[in-house]
Amino acid sequence: MRKSLAERSVDWVLGGLTVITFLVLYTPVLISAIFSIVPTDRNGVHWNEASLQWYGQLLGNTSVLNAVETTLIVGLISVAIATALAIAIALYVEWEGAMMRRLLELFVYLPFLMPPIITGLSLLIYFNGLGIPRGTATIAIGHVALVLAILYRLVLTRLQSIPRSMIEASADLGATRWQTFARVIWPQLRSAAVTGAVLALTISFDETFVTFFLAGDTTTLPLRLWGMMRVGFSPEINALVTIVLGVSITLAAIVALRLNPRGTLEEE
Amino acid sequence: MTSRTSRLLLFALAASVPLLLVVLPIGNFFVMSFWRVSDNVIVPDATLANYAGFLENDAYWRTFLFTIGLCAAVAGIGIAIGYPVSYFIWRLRGRIKYLLLLLLILPLFMSYIVKIYTMRSILGLNGFLNKFLVFTGILDQPSTLFLYNRTAILITMATILLPFVILPIFLTLERIPKSLTQASADLGAGAGTTFWRVVLPLSLPGTAAGALFTFVLALGDYITPQMVGGPNGFTFGRVIWSQFGLAYNWPFGAALAVIMFLFALAVIGLAAFMAARQR
Repeated sequence: MRKSLAERSVDWVLGGLTVITFLVLYTPVLISAIFSIVPTDRNGVHWNEASLQWYGQLLGNTSVLNAVETTLIVGLISVAIATALAIAIALYVEWEGAMMRRLLELFVYLPFLMPPIITGLSLLIYFNGLGIPRGTATIAIGHVALVLAILYRLVLTRLQSIPRSMIEASADLGATRWQTFARVIWPQLRSAAVTGAVLALTISFDETFVTFFLAGDTTTLPLRLWGMMRVGFSPEINALVTIVLGVSITLAAIVALRLNPRGTLEEE
Repeated sequence: MTSRTSRLLLFALAASVPLLLVVLPIGNFFVMSFWRVSDNVIVPDATLANYAGFLENDAYWRTFLFTIGLCAAVAGIGIAIGYPVSYFIWRLRGRIKYLLLLLLILPLFMSYIVKIYTMRSILGLNGFLNKFLVFTGILDQPSTLFLYNRTAILITMATILLPFVILPIFLTLERIPKSLTQASADLGAGAGTTFWRVVLPLSLPGTAAGALFTFVLALGDYITPQMVGGPNGFTFGRVIWSQFGLAYNWPFGAALAVIMFLFALAVIGLAAFMAARQR
Protein backbone atom coordinates (compact mmCIF):
# COMPACT_ATOMS: atom_id res chain seq x y z
CA MET A 1 0.00 0.00 0.00
CA ARG A 2 1.44 3.38 -0.99
CA LYS A 3 1.57 6.08 1.58
CA SER A 4 -0.21 9.34 0.92
CA LEU A 5 1.71 12.59 0.57
CA ALA A 6 0.50 13.70 4.00
CA GLU A 7 1.74 10.51 5.66
CA ARG A 8 5.10 10.77 3.95
CA SER A 9 5.57 14.38 5.02
CA VAL A 10 4.72 13.44 8.62
CA ASP A 11 7.40 10.73 8.41
CA TRP A 12 9.93 13.28 7.17
CA VAL A 13 9.12 15.70 9.99
CA LEU A 14 9.38 12.94 12.62
CA GLY A 15 12.61 11.65 11.09
CA GLY A 16 14.05 15.16 11.01
CA LEU A 17 13.16 15.69 14.68
CA THR A 18 14.83 12.37 15.55
CA VAL A 19 18.03 13.39 13.73
CA ILE A 20 18.05 16.75 15.56
CA THR A 21 17.54 14.96 18.89
CA PHE A 22 20.57 12.77 18.20
CA LEU A 23 22.62 15.84 17.34
CA VAL A 24 21.56 17.61 20.55
CA LEU A 25 22.38 14.55 22.68
CA TYR A 26 25.70 13.66 21.10
CA THR A 27 27.28 16.90 19.84
CA PRO A 28 28.32 18.04 23.35
CA VAL A 29 29.95 14.69 24.00
CA LEU A 30 31.82 14.67 20.69
CA ILE A 31 33.05 18.23 21.15
CA SER A 32 34.59 17.40 24.54
CA ALA A 33 36.27 14.35 23.09
CA ILE A 34 37.70 16.34 20.17
CA PHE A 35 39.00 19.19 22.32
CA SER A 36 40.75 16.76 24.65
CA ILE A 37 43.01 15.87 21.72
CA VAL A 38 43.08 19.01 19.59
CA PRO A 39 44.31 22.29 21.14
CA THR A 40 42.27 25.50 20.74
CA ASP A 41 42.99 29.12 21.51
CA ARG A 42 41.81 32.58 20.46
CA ASN A 43 43.04 32.00 16.92
CA GLY A 44 40.87 28.94 16.47
CA VAL A 45 41.29 25.22 16.41
CA HIS A 46 44.74 23.80 15.66
CA TRP A 47 43.79 20.56 13.99
CA ASN A 48 47.37 19.64 13.03
CA GLU A 49 48.63 19.81 16.62
CA ALA A 50 46.50 16.96 17.91
CA SER A 51 48.12 15.00 20.71
CA LEU A 52 47.37 12.84 23.71
CA GLN A 53 49.47 15.01 26.03
CA TRP A 54 46.48 15.88 28.28
CA TYR A 55 45.82 12.23 28.91
CA GLY A 56 49.45 11.79 29.89
CA GLN A 57 49.18 14.76 32.23
CA LEU A 58 46.21 13.14 33.98
CA LEU A 59 48.37 10.10 34.82
CA GLY A 60 50.61 12.37 36.87
CA ASN A 61 47.74 14.10 38.67
CA THR A 62 47.67 12.42 42.09
CA SER A 63 44.42 14.04 43.24
CA VAL A 64 42.65 12.64 40.18
CA LEU A 65 44.24 9.21 40.68
CA ASN A 66 43.19 9.17 44.34
CA ALA A 67 39.65 10.08 43.33
CA VAL A 68 39.64 7.22 40.81
CA GLU A 69 40.80 4.82 43.52
CA THR A 70 38.06 5.94 45.95
CA THR A 71 35.43 5.71 43.21
CA LEU A 72 36.43 2.14 42.36
CA ILE A 73 36.58 1.03 46.01
CA VAL A 74 33.16 2.57 46.72
CA GLY A 75 31.69 1.04 43.57
CA LEU A 76 32.95 -2.50 44.12
CA ILE A 77 32.14 -2.66 47.83
CA SER A 78 28.71 -1.06 47.61
CA VAL A 79 27.67 -3.13 44.59
CA ALA A 80 28.83 -6.37 46.25
CA ILE A 81 26.89 -5.59 49.43
CA ALA A 82 23.81 -4.37 47.57
CA THR A 83 23.76 -7.47 45.34
CA ALA A 84 23.87 -9.80 48.34
CA LEU A 85 21.15 -7.82 50.13
CA ALA A 86 18.97 -7.65 47.02
CA ILE A 87 19.17 -11.44 46.56
CA ALA A 88 18.36 -12.03 50.22
CA ILE A 89 15.35 -9.69 50.22
CA ALA A 90 14.09 -11.02 46.88
CA LEU A 91 14.35 -14.63 48.11
CA TYR A 92 12.49 -13.69 51.26
CA VAL A 93 9.74 -11.86 49.35
CA GLU A 94 9.32 -14.51 46.66
CA TRP A 95 9.83 -17.75 48.57
CA GLU A 96 8.93 -17.04 52.17
CA GLY A 97 5.83 -14.98 51.44
CA ALA A 98 6.85 -11.69 52.94
CA MET A 99 4.85 -9.88 55.56
CA MET A 100 3.94 -6.34 54.57
CA ARG A 101 5.41 -6.90 51.13
CA ARG A 102 4.14 -3.66 49.54
CA LEU A 103 5.56 -1.55 52.35
CA LEU A 104 8.88 -3.41 52.30
CA GLU A 105 9.20 -2.88 48.54
CA LEU A 106 8.18 0.78 48.78
CA PHE A 107 11.08 1.44 51.14
CA VAL A 108 13.50 -0.51 48.94
CA TYR A 109 12.46 1.57 45.90
CA LEU A 110 12.17 4.92 47.68
CA PRO A 111 15.82 6.08 47.46
CA PHE A 112 15.71 5.42 43.73
CA LEU A 113 12.40 7.23 43.18
CA MET A 114 13.05 10.24 45.39
CA PRO A 115 15.07 13.21 44.21
CA PRO A 116 18.61 12.09 45.18
CA ILE A 117 19.12 15.22 47.29
CA ILE A 118 16.59 13.74 49.75
CA THR A 119 18.49 10.44 50.03
CA GLY A 120 21.77 12.32 50.38
CA LEU A 121 20.80 14.74 53.10
CA SER A 122 18.70 12.23 55.05
CA LEU A 123 21.75 9.94 55.29
CA LEU A 124 23.95 12.94 56.13
CA ILE A 125 21.74 13.90 59.09
CA TYR A 126 21.47 10.22 60.11
CA PHE A 127 25.23 9.57 60.14
CA ASN A 128 25.83 12.88 61.86
CA GLY A 129 23.34 11.93 64.58
CA LEU A 130 25.05 8.57 65.04
CA GLY A 131 28.44 10.26 65.23
CA ILE A 132 29.80 8.41 62.20
CA PRO A 133 32.43 10.53 60.42
CA ARG A 134 31.92 11.05 56.71
CA GLY A 135 34.22 9.26 54.31
CA THR A 136 34.57 6.30 51.98
CA ALA A 137 32.37 4.08 54.19
CA THR A 138 29.45 6.54 54.34
CA ILE A 139 29.60 7.08 50.57
CA ALA A 140 29.50 3.30 50.08
CA ILE A 141 26.45 2.96 52.35
CA GLY A 142 24.69 5.74 50.43
CA HIS A 143 25.38 3.94 47.15
CA VAL A 144 24.05 0.67 48.62
CA ALA A 145 20.76 2.43 49.45
CA LEU A 146 20.60 3.89 45.95
CA VAL A 147 21.40 0.84 43.80
CA LEU A 148 19.55 -1.71 45.98
CA ALA A 149 16.28 -0.86 44.19
CA ILE A 150 17.54 -1.66 40.72
CA LEU A 151 19.30 -4.88 41.80
CA TYR A 152 16.24 -6.02 43.73
CA ARG A 153 13.99 -5.39 40.71
CA LEU A 154 16.21 -7.39 38.32
CA VAL A 155 16.77 -10.28 40.74
CA LEU A 156 13.08 -10.50 41.69
CA THR A 157 11.95 -10.55 38.04
CA ARG A 158 14.27 -13.47 37.33
CA LEU A 159 13.31 -15.27 40.52
CA GLN A 160 9.62 -15.06 39.59
CA SER A 161 10.36 -16.81 36.30
CA ILE A 162 11.75 -19.92 38.06
CA PRO A 163 8.97 -22.52 38.27
CA ARG A 164 8.04 -23.29 41.86
CA SER A 165 7.92 -26.99 41.00
CA MET A 166 11.70 -27.03 40.57
CA ILE A 167 12.21 -25.89 44.14
CA GLU A 168 9.61 -28.34 45.43
CA ALA A 169 11.26 -31.16 43.49
CA SER A 170 14.60 -30.25 45.03
CA ALA A 171 13.08 -30.33 48.52
CA ASP A 172 11.35 -33.65 47.80
CA LEU A 173 14.69 -35.16 46.83
CA GLY A 174 15.97 -34.28 50.26
CA ALA A 175 17.97 -31.16 49.52
CA THR A 176 18.39 -28.66 52.33
CA ARG A 177 17.39 -25.04 51.72
CA TRP A 178 21.00 -24.08 51.19
CA GLN A 179 21.53 -26.90 48.67
CA THR A 180 18.38 -25.87 46.82
CA PHE A 181 19.67 -22.29 46.64
CA ALA A 182 23.18 -23.27 45.55
CA ARG A 183 22.20 -25.98 43.03
CA VAL A 184 18.81 -24.85 41.71
CA ILE A 185 18.17 -21.16 42.27
CA TRP A 186 21.62 -19.57 42.03
CA PRO A 187 22.54 -21.01 38.60
CA GLN A 188 19.37 -19.39 37.20
CA LEU A 189 19.80 -16.19 39.16
CA ARG A 190 23.45 -15.60 38.33
CA SER A 191 23.10 -13.82 35.01
CA ALA A 192 20.45 -11.42 36.37
CA ALA A 193 22.63 -10.68 39.38
CA VAL A 194 25.68 -9.98 37.21
CA THR A 195 23.71 -7.73 34.84
CA GLY A 196 22.27 -5.84 37.80
CA ALA A 197 25.72 -5.53 39.37
CA VAL A 198 27.22 -3.99 36.22
CA LEU A 199 24.28 -1.60 35.96
CA ALA A 200 24.70 -0.68 39.63
CA LEU A 201 28.42 -0.15 39.05
CA THR A 202 27.61 2.27 36.22
CA ILE A 203 25.35 4.25 38.54
CA SER A 204 27.83 4.22 41.42
CA PHE A 205 30.67 5.31 39.13
CA ASP A 206 28.82 8.48 38.09
CA GLU A 207 26.86 9.24 41.25
CA THR A 208 27.18 12.84 42.44
CA PHE A 209 23.96 14.04 44.11
CA VAL A 210 24.01 11.59 47.04
CA THR A 211 27.79 11.33 47.22
CA PHE A 212 28.26 15.06 47.71
CA PHE A 213 26.44 15.00 51.07
CA LEU A 214 28.29 11.92 52.35
CA ALA A 215 31.84 12.55 51.18
CA GLY A 216 33.27 14.89 53.79
CA ASP A 217 36.90 15.40 52.78
CA THR A 218 36.93 12.30 50.62
CA THR A 219 36.76 12.86 46.87
CA THR A 220 35.29 10.63 44.22
CA LEU A 221 35.87 11.13 40.52
CA PRO A 222 32.60 13.02 39.83
CA LEU A 223 33.24 15.28 42.83
CA ARG A 224 36.82 15.91 41.68
CA LEU A 225 35.50 16.72 38.22
CA TRP A 226 32.94 19.11 39.68
CA GLY A 227 35.70 20.85 41.61
CA MET A 228 37.82 21.20 38.47
CA MET A 229 34.83 22.53 36.52
CA ARG A 230 34.25 25.36 38.95
CA VAL A 231 37.67 26.72 38.02
CA GLY A 232 36.94 26.76 34.29
CA PHE A 233 37.56 24.90 31.08
CA SER A 234 40.79 23.14 30.23
CA PRO A 235 41.89 20.41 27.85
CA GLU A 236 42.78 18.35 30.93
CA ILE A 237 39.13 18.37 32.06
CA ASN A 238 38.09 17.43 28.53
CA ALA A 239 40.45 14.47 28.66
CA LEU A 240 39.09 13.33 32.03
CA VAL A 241 35.52 13.85 30.80
CA THR A 242 36.26 11.71 27.76
CA ILE A 243 37.70 8.91 29.90
CA VAL A 244 34.70 8.99 32.26
CA LEU A 245 32.33 8.87 29.28
CA GLY A 246 34.27 5.96 27.81
CA VAL A 247 33.99 3.95 31.04
CA SER A 248 30.24 4.70 31.39
CA ILE A 249 29.52 3.77 27.77
CA THR A 250 31.52 0.53 28.07
CA LEU A 251 29.63 -0.51 31.21
CA ALA A 252 26.29 0.45 29.64
CA ALA A 253 27.14 -1.54 26.50
CA ILE A 254 27.84 -4.61 28.65
CA VAL A 255 24.42 -4.22 30.29
CA ALA A 256 22.75 -3.71 26.89
CA LEU A 257 24.37 -6.87 25.51
CA ARG A 258 23.17 -8.86 28.50
CA LEU A 259 19.62 -7.56 28.33
CA ASN A 260 17.67 -8.17 25.18
CA PRO A 261 15.94 -5.12 23.66
CA ARG A 262 12.56 -5.83 25.18
CA GLY A 263 13.98 -5.57 28.66
CA THR A 264 13.62 -9.20 29.62
CA LEU A 265 16.68 -11.14 30.58
CA GLU A 266 18.57 -13.23 28.10
CA GLU A 267 19.23 -16.88 28.79
CA GLU A 268 22.84 -17.81 29.18
CA MET B 1 11.12 -24.09 60.92
CA THR B 2 8.10 -22.33 59.48
CA SER B 3 6.81 -21.50 62.91
CA ARG B 4 5.54 -18.04 63.70
CA THR B 5 8.73 -17.06 65.52
CA SER B 6 11.01 -17.91 62.64
CA ARG B 7 8.71 -16.07 60.24
CA LEU B 8 8.96 -12.97 62.41
CA LEU B 9 12.71 -13.39 62.65
CA LEU B 10 13.07 -13.60 58.86
CA PHE B 11 10.87 -10.54 58.44
CA ALA B 12 12.95 -8.60 60.94
CA LEU B 13 16.12 -9.55 59.06
CA ALA B 14 14.74 -8.59 55.65
CA ALA B 15 13.13 -5.41 56.92
CA SER B 16 16.21 -4.28 58.82
CA VAL B 17 17.94 -3.26 55.58
CA PRO B 18 15.37 -0.71 54.34
CA LEU B 19 14.76 0.25 57.96
CA LEU B 20 18.40 1.15 58.61
CA LEU B 21 19.08 2.62 55.17
CA VAL B 22 15.83 4.41 54.39
CA VAL B 23 13.19 4.65 57.11
CA LEU B 24 15.41 5.81 59.97
CA PRO B 25 17.33 8.40 57.88
CA ILE B 26 14.09 9.87 56.54
CA GLY B 27 12.53 9.86 60.01
CA ASN B 28 15.68 11.55 61.24
CA PHE B 29 15.42 14.57 58.97
CA PHE B 30 11.70 14.86 59.68
CA VAL B 31 12.63 15.15 63.36
CA MET B 32 15.42 17.62 62.67
CA SER B 33 13.02 19.89 60.77
CA PHE B 34 11.56 20.81 64.19
CA TRP B 35 14.94 21.70 65.65
CA ARG B 36 16.67 25.05 65.54
CA VAL B 37 20.10 26.62 65.25
CA SER B 38 21.42 29.00 67.86
CA ASP B 39 24.94 30.44 67.76
CA ASN B 40 25.88 28.03 64.97
CA VAL B 41 24.94 25.01 67.06
CA ILE B 42 22.06 22.70 66.18
CA VAL B 43 19.71 22.44 69.18
CA PRO B 44 16.97 19.82 69.57
CA ASP B 45 13.60 21.50 69.92
CA ALA B 46 9.94 21.13 68.97
CA THR B 47 9.41 24.30 67.01
CA LEU B 48 7.50 25.00 63.82
CA ALA B 49 9.68 28.06 63.23
CA ASN B 50 11.41 26.47 60.21
CA TYR B 51 8.11 25.84 58.47
CA ALA B 52 6.87 29.29 59.43
CA GLY B 53 10.09 30.69 58.01
CA PHE B 54 9.29 29.10 54.69
CA LEU B 55 5.65 30.19 54.65
CA GLU B 56 6.35 33.76 55.72
CA ASN B 57 9.20 34.48 53.36
CA ASP B 58 8.17 35.45 49.85
CA ALA B 59 11.56 34.62 48.41
CA TYR B 60 11.32 30.93 49.38
CA TRP B 61 7.77 30.70 48.08
CA ARG B 62 8.69 32.25 44.78
CA THR B 63 11.69 29.93 44.43
CA PHE B 64 9.48 26.94 45.19
CA LEU B 65 6.89 27.95 42.59
CA PHE B 66 9.58 28.82 40.05
CA THR B 67 11.14 25.38 40.56
CA ILE B 68 7.80 23.64 40.02
CA GLY B 69 7.28 25.67 36.84
CA LEU B 70 10.81 24.88 35.68
CA CYS B 71 10.41 21.14 36.27
CA ALA B 72 7.01 21.16 34.57
CA ALA B 73 8.61 22.89 31.58
CA VAL B 74 11.41 20.29 31.54
CA ALA B 75 8.84 17.48 31.58
CA GLY B 76 6.72 19.28 28.96
CA ILE B 77 9.66 19.75 26.60
CA GLY B 78 10.50 16.09 27.25
CA ILE B 79 7.08 14.99 26.02
CA ALA B 80 6.98 17.47 23.13
CA ILE B 81 10.27 16.16 21.73
CA GLY B 82 10.35 12.68 23.27
CA TYR B 83 6.93 11.54 22.11
CA PRO B 84 7.36 12.17 18.36
CA VAL B 85 10.88 10.71 18.46
CA SER B 86 9.73 7.59 20.37
CA TYR B 87 6.81 7.20 17.96
CA PHE B 88 9.10 7.46 14.95
CA ILE B 89 11.52 4.87 16.31
CA TRP B 90 8.72 2.58 17.48
CA ARG B 91 7.37 2.36 13.90
CA LEU B 92 10.74 1.40 12.43
CA ARG B 93 11.38 -2.26 11.72
CA GLY B 94 14.32 -4.56 12.22
CA ARG B 95 17.63 -4.09 14.02
CA ILE B 96 17.78 -0.34 13.37
CA LYS B 97 14.82 0.19 15.72
CA TYR B 98 16.59 -1.19 18.78
CA LEU B 99 19.94 0.27 17.78
CA LEU B 100 18.44 3.77 17.66
CA LEU B 101 16.63 3.17 20.96
CA LEU B 102 19.88 2.04 22.55
CA LEU B 103 21.66 5.16 21.29
CA LEU B 104 18.87 7.37 22.66
CA ILE B 105 19.02 5.90 26.15
CA LEU B 106 22.81 5.56 26.26
CA PRO B 107 23.14 9.15 27.55
CA LEU B 108 21.26 7.97 30.66
CA PHE B 109 24.43 6.20 31.68
CA MET B 110 26.72 9.14 31.14
CA SER B 111 27.86 11.07 34.18
CA TYR B 112 25.51 13.92 35.11
CA ILE B 113 28.45 16.19 35.91
CA VAL B 114 30.01 15.45 32.55
CA LYS B 115 26.78 16.28 30.74
CA ILE B 116 26.49 19.60 32.58
CA TYR B 117 30.10 20.35 31.69
CA THR B 118 29.59 19.62 28.01
CA MET B 119 26.35 21.65 27.92
CA ARG B 120 28.17 24.55 29.54
CA SER B 121 30.89 24.49 26.94
CA ILE B 122 28.23 24.52 24.21
CA LEU B 123 26.10 27.34 25.61
CA GLY B 124 28.92 29.74 26.60
CA LEU B 125 29.96 32.96 24.91
CA ASN B 126 32.69 31.13 22.98
CA GLY B 127 30.60 28.01 22.81
CA PHE B 128 29.56 25.92 19.86
CA LEU B 129 25.99 27.29 19.79
CA ASN B 130 27.12 30.91 19.48
CA LYS B 131 29.75 30.04 16.90
CA PHE B 132 27.11 28.19 14.90
CA LEU B 133 24.53 31.00 15.11
CA VAL B 134 27.07 33.66 14.11
CA PHE B 135 28.42 31.46 11.31
CA THR B 136 24.94 30.94 9.85
CA GLY B 137 24.20 34.67 10.17
CA ILE B 138 21.31 34.26 12.60
CA LEU B 139 23.20 36.37 15.15
CA ASP B 140 25.55 39.28 14.42
CA GLN B 141 27.68 38.63 17.47
CA PRO B 142 27.88 35.95 20.20
CA SER B 143 25.07 36.19 22.74
CA THR B 144 25.38 35.85 26.50
CA LEU B 145 21.73 34.82 26.68
CA PHE B 146 22.44 31.09 26.75
CA LEU B 147 24.50 30.74 29.90
CA TYR B 148 24.33 31.79 33.57
CA ASN B 149 20.62 32.51 33.67
CA ARG B 150 17.33 30.68 34.15
CA THR B 151 16.97 29.85 30.46
CA ALA B 152 20.29 28.02 30.65
CA ILE B 153 18.97 25.86 33.52
CA LEU B 154 15.91 24.97 31.46
CA ILE B 155 17.90 24.15 28.30
CA THR B 156 20.46 22.08 30.21
CA MET B 157 17.96 20.11 32.30
CA ALA B 158 15.65 19.50 29.33
CA THR B 159 18.56 18.13 27.28
CA ILE B 160 19.99 15.97 30.05
CA LEU B 161 16.63 14.53 31.12
CA LEU B 162 15.22 13.96 27.62
CA PRO B 163 16.30 10.26 27.52
CA PHE B 164 14.45 9.73 30.82
CA VAL B 165 11.20 10.69 29.04
CA ILE B 166 11.93 8.82 25.81
CA LEU B 167 12.48 5.42 27.46
CA PRO B 168 9.10 5.15 29.28
CA ILE B 169 7.22 6.50 26.24
CA PHE B 170 8.86 3.89 24.01
CA LEU B 171 8.12 1.09 26.49
CA THR B 172 4.49 2.26 26.65
CA LEU B 173 4.21 2.17 22.86
CA GLU B 174 5.79 -1.29 22.80
CA ARG B 175 3.06 -2.56 25.12
CA ILE B 176 0.29 -1.70 22.64
CA PRO B 177 -0.75 -5.02 21.07
CA LYS B 178 0.06 -5.19 17.35
CA SER B 179 -3.41 -6.66 16.77
CA LEU B 180 -5.04 -3.36 17.75
CA THR B 181 -3.18 -1.25 15.19
CA GLN B 182 -3.71 -3.96 12.58
CA ALA B 183 -7.42 -4.10 13.32
CA SER B 184 -7.58 -0.34 12.95
CA ALA B 185 -5.86 -0.56 9.56
CA ASP B 186 -8.14 -3.43 8.47
CA LEU B 187 -11.17 -1.29 9.25
CA GLY B 188 -9.85 1.25 6.78
CA ALA B 189 -8.22 3.78 9.12
CA GLY B 190 -5.14 5.56 7.79
CA ALA B 191 -1.96 5.94 9.84
CA GLY B 192 -3.19 9.31 11.10
CA THR B 193 -6.58 8.04 12.27
CA THR B 194 -4.97 4.98 13.90
CA PHE B 195 -2.58 7.27 15.76
CA TRP B 196 -5.23 9.67 17.04
CA ARG B 197 -7.87 7.05 17.87
CA VAL B 198 -5.78 4.06 19.02
CA VAL B 199 -2.10 4.71 19.70
CA LEU B 200 -2.32 8.09 21.43
CA PRO B 201 -5.12 7.25 23.91
CA LEU B 202 -3.43 3.95 24.84
CA SER B 203 -0.01 5.51 25.38
CA LEU B 204 -1.16 8.64 27.21
CA PRO B 205 -1.12 7.26 30.79
CA GLY B 206 2.38 5.75 30.40
CA THR B 207 3.63 8.96 28.82
CA ALA B 208 2.24 11.00 31.70
CA ALA B 209 3.85 8.63 34.22
CA GLY B 210 7.23 8.96 32.49
CA ALA B 211 6.95 12.73 32.45
CA LEU B 212 6.06 12.82 36.15
CA PHE B 213 9.13 10.73 37.08
CA THR B 214 11.26 13.14 35.06
CA PHE B 215 9.62 16.01 36.91
CA VAL B 216 10.70 14.49 40.24
CA LEU B 217 14.26 13.98 38.98
CA ALA B 218 14.46 17.63 37.96
CA LEU B 219 12.97 18.77 41.26
CA GLY B 220 15.96 17.85 43.41
CA ASP B 221 18.72 18.97 41.06
CA TYR B 222 21.08 21.33 42.89
CA ILE B 223 24.11 21.04 40.62
CA THR B 224 22.71 22.25 37.27
CA PRO B 225 21.38 25.56 38.71
CA GLN B 226 24.70 26.17 40.39
CA MET B 227 26.81 25.39 37.32
CA VAL B 228 24.78 27.11 34.58
CA GLY B 229 22.22 29.22 36.46
CA GLY B 230 24.43 32.13 37.50
CA PRO B 231 23.68 34.35 40.50
CA ASN B 232 19.90 34.48 39.91
CA GLY B 233 19.42 30.85 39.02
CA PHE B 234 18.14 29.66 42.37
CA THR B 235 15.97 26.57 42.48
CA PHE B 236 14.48 24.89 45.53
CA GLY B 237 17.10 22.15 45.41
CA ARG B 238 19.89 24.72 45.37
CA VAL B 239 18.32 26.56 48.33
CA ILE B 240 18.15 23.32 50.34
CA TRP B 241 21.72 22.48 49.37
CA SER B 242 22.99 25.88 50.53
CA GLN B 243 21.46 25.31 53.99
CA PHE B 244 23.84 22.38 54.38
CA GLY B 245 26.80 24.39 53.13
CA LEU B 246 27.61 28.01 53.78
CA ALA B 247 24.26 29.01 55.30
CA TYR B 248 24.70 26.19 57.87
CA ASN B 249 21.11 25.88 58.97
CA TRP B 250 20.48 22.14 58.88
CA PRO B 251 17.09 22.24 60.65
CA PHE B 252 15.77 24.81 58.15
CA GLY B 253 17.22 22.80 55.27
CA ALA B 254 15.57 19.69 56.71
CA ALA B 255 12.19 21.48 56.85
CA LEU B 256 12.54 22.56 53.21
CA ALA B 257 13.53 18.98 52.35
CA VAL B 258 10.41 17.65 54.11
CA ILE B 259 8.31 19.94 51.91
CA MET B 260 10.12 18.67 48.80
CA PHE B 261 9.85 15.04 49.99
CA LEU B 262 6.08 15.23 50.52
CA PHE B 263 5.58 17.02 47.22
CA ALA B 264 7.72 14.45 45.38
CA LEU B 265 5.87 11.60 47.10
CA ALA B 266 2.53 13.02 45.89
CA VAL B 267 3.86 13.30 42.32
CA ILE B 268 5.24 9.74 42.42
CA GLY B 269 1.90 8.51 43.76
CA LEU B 270 0.19 10.20 40.82
CA ALA B 271 2.72 8.64 38.42
CA ALA B 272 2.15 5.17 39.93
CA PHE B 273 -1.62 5.69 39.52
CA MET B 274 -1.10 6.64 35.86
CA ALA B 275 1.17 3.64 35.29
CA ALA B 276 -1.42 1.34 36.87
CA ARG B 277 -4.12 2.66 34.52
CA GLN B 278 -1.86 1.66 31.64
CA ARG B 279 -2.25 -2.04 32.47
